[in-house]
Amino acid sequence: MKRRRFIQALAAAPAAPVLLAQQSQSSPAAAADNAEPAALELSVADEAADPAPRFFSARQFATLRRLCDLIVPGAQGSPGALEAHVPEFLDFLIGDSPIDRQQLWLTGLDALEHESQTRFRKPFADSDAAQADALLAPLRQPWTSDTPADPVARLLIAAKQDVRAAAFNSFERNLAASGGKIRRTGGGLYWLPLE
Amino acid sequence: MAAPNYDVLIIGSGASGGIAAFTLTKKGIKCLMLDAGPPIDFERNRVSRPVWELPYRGLGKPGRLEHVFQANEYNANQWVDEQQVPYTHDPNEPFNWVRVRFVGGKSLFWSRMSFRFSDYEFKGKDHDGFGDNWPVSLADLAPYYDQVEPIFRVRGRKEGLKQLPDGNFIEDTTSWSPAVQKFIAEAGKRDIPVTKIRSSLGRGPLASSLNLLLPDAMATGNLTIVPNAVVREITVDKNTGRVNGANFLDRHSRREMHAKAKVVVLGASCLESTRILLNSGLANSSGMLGHYLHDQFYITQSVQAVIPEVRDKTAPAGYASGAGYIPRFRNLQTRERDFLRGYAFDFNAGGTPDPKFFPLYGKALDEALETHRGSGFTGTCMGEVLPRFENHVRINKDVTDAWGIPVLHFQVRYGANELNMAKDAINTMAELCRACGWEVLARNNQPLPPGYSIHELGTCRMGDNPRTSVLNKWNQSWDIKNLFVVDGSSFVSGGSQNPTMTILALSMRASEYLAEQMRKGDI
Repeated sequence: MKRRRFIQALAAAPAAPVLLAQQSQSSPAAAADNAEPAALELSVADEAADPAPRFFSARQFATLRRLCDLIVPGAQGSPGALEAHVPEFLDFLIGDSPIDRQQLWLTGLDALEHESQTRFRKPFADSDAAQADALLAPLRQPWTSDTPADPVARLLIAAKQDVRAAAFNSFERNLAASGGKIRRTGGGLYWLPLE
Repeated sequence: MAAPNYDVLIIGSGASGGIAAFTLTKKGIKCLMLDAGPPIDFERNRVSRPVWELPYRGLGKPGRLEHVFQANEYNANQWVDEQQVPYTHDPNEPFNWVRVRFVGGKSLFWSRMSFRFSDYEFKGKDHDGFGDNWPVSLADLAPYYDQVEPIFRVRGRKEGLKQLPDGNFIEDTTSWSPAVQKFIAEAGKRDIPVTKIRSSLGRGPLASSLNLLLPDAMATGNLTIVPNAVVREITVDKNTGRVNGANFLDRHSRREMHAKAKVVVLGASCLESTRILLNSGLANSSGMLGHYLHDQFYITQSVQAVIPEVRDKTAPAGYASGAGYIPRFRNLQTRERDFLRGYAFDFNAGGTPDPKFFPLYGKALDEALETHRGSGFTGTCMGEVLPRFENHVRINKDVTDAWGIPVLHFQVRYGANELNMAKDAINTMAELCRACGWEVLARNNQPLPPGYSIHELGTCRMGDNPRTSVLNKWNQSWDIKNLFVVDGSSFVSGGSQNPTMTILALSMRASEYLAEQMRKGDI
């Protein structure tokens, strides 16, 4: 799906009025052409290129994809985590995170894969619904404030939160929720960096 | 032309510095106010932006504001950058120092909860033998609460509770929803009071020094405000031993400047004021400066309950809604076995429980969230933290901030009293919810790290004895007569109430005293 973003015309840039003024001085006839230039239609990177995952290994990434699909599955009119490119986003997010968060995900994905191989002799990525549900048992435990010692449980708790947030905040999910006519204004108030 | 020698230099423009300027300038005293941050412009500094256009989809840049749990990707730029102004602590003993540097300070963003302290706080030692009494009582501060509450337009309901004194309120005439009435009835059976939230309405979008205090001070013609002025140290006249101004750096250029004044009033926030004094080598003959750091421990979503009538759609619309407050009720008439002092809750009914509390994922979780929409009841626990000498900050000379100023090192931890209190609080809240017939989905008795409440207090404590306190009962340095500290650092204990109204009342009282001393020529 196309994702386009319209920005103000170049005339809004500080240098443009100066240039236009210089042109009008050098050529009086140019005054008639002194209309604002047409707005350029710019795109964000996501619509022109694919994410290039680089943090997780191929096996970890496959495990992550299956996990994302289980936590936020797609439905009719409601893109799931895979359609929202959550695995690719998390590869970027976790790769940009402090080491302790990276370790939680790396060891957790490896442990989940190991458990799948041990119990079902197949990669987690290939697990069927019943097998996957068995491996995700920690997510069916009552919530506790204690951090679990088990690396799979730690991963699953973090993944439940991050995968949901990344999916629900995605362009794809919001586009679907708005019936394909997404409003490009609105949203939260973002604090610009101070000078 | 030489720069003026101001009557009073006020460092900090938040609640405490703002009310000092408000009070002093109206008495004809010429004040210079320095603030480390820029002036705020809500129109220019904020833009509307959809979450999917943020680089991190709203999850925030990892590691950027590690200690600011209140930060998100939208508001990340409103907090002090932890790389620009770092601080240090043992990795196993974190302290969440949450800071704002704007003209108006934290009063731009505070929760607006507006309570008075009682003599259970001011005279806590008389009540239970722990710690020290304040050198002031509620009777001393009541006239100042009476004045600051109308300025901030505090809305509340008079309840006649000794532990939560009534204020000069705009009457809260709202009613309770049926679910909250049920909760109040169950609490009443256990002698647990429930009150309306007491909150500053302010004016327009703000309840801040920026709109309620500084404009009036400026209108007197007696206030000069210099933003972007990062104070390095307070300076001293070597001949008199009195303070005579401050050295500061321009935030952008780092140009060093010196401001002259006859009196210095510090209101830079508890820990920044303490840092300035420690870096200045002043006001510490007692050895207490930086010690007794305390706040209130917070547990957000401490108990998450579900109101079945709402979930099962048997209750009418509007059955569960609204917020309320449980003031301290422990250790007033009786004595608990395993903790001193007490805790408060603020609660709200009618929300939807956080997805993390459901032992589900995928489609089943989405269905449960839909079913439970609007059926939640939860409360934030706020507990008194005992002031202890060993919980302290000191200067770490090995680390400096972006302006070359040495930073603070924190050594703070909660003890058994806080943890035992937290357990009692959560047990009590869970019991109340069950008594209402509600289902307890989750409970959490682990306090957030010290500092989370943004109520840091006590590091320039006041007292009756110059050997055990930094300030006298007028927020005046025992060591240096023309130096005052008017922010939360002067507190002797913190209670379980939000401290802003008490900071305002203390600062106004100190400022009136200062003005009178200046009028008499004693300072």
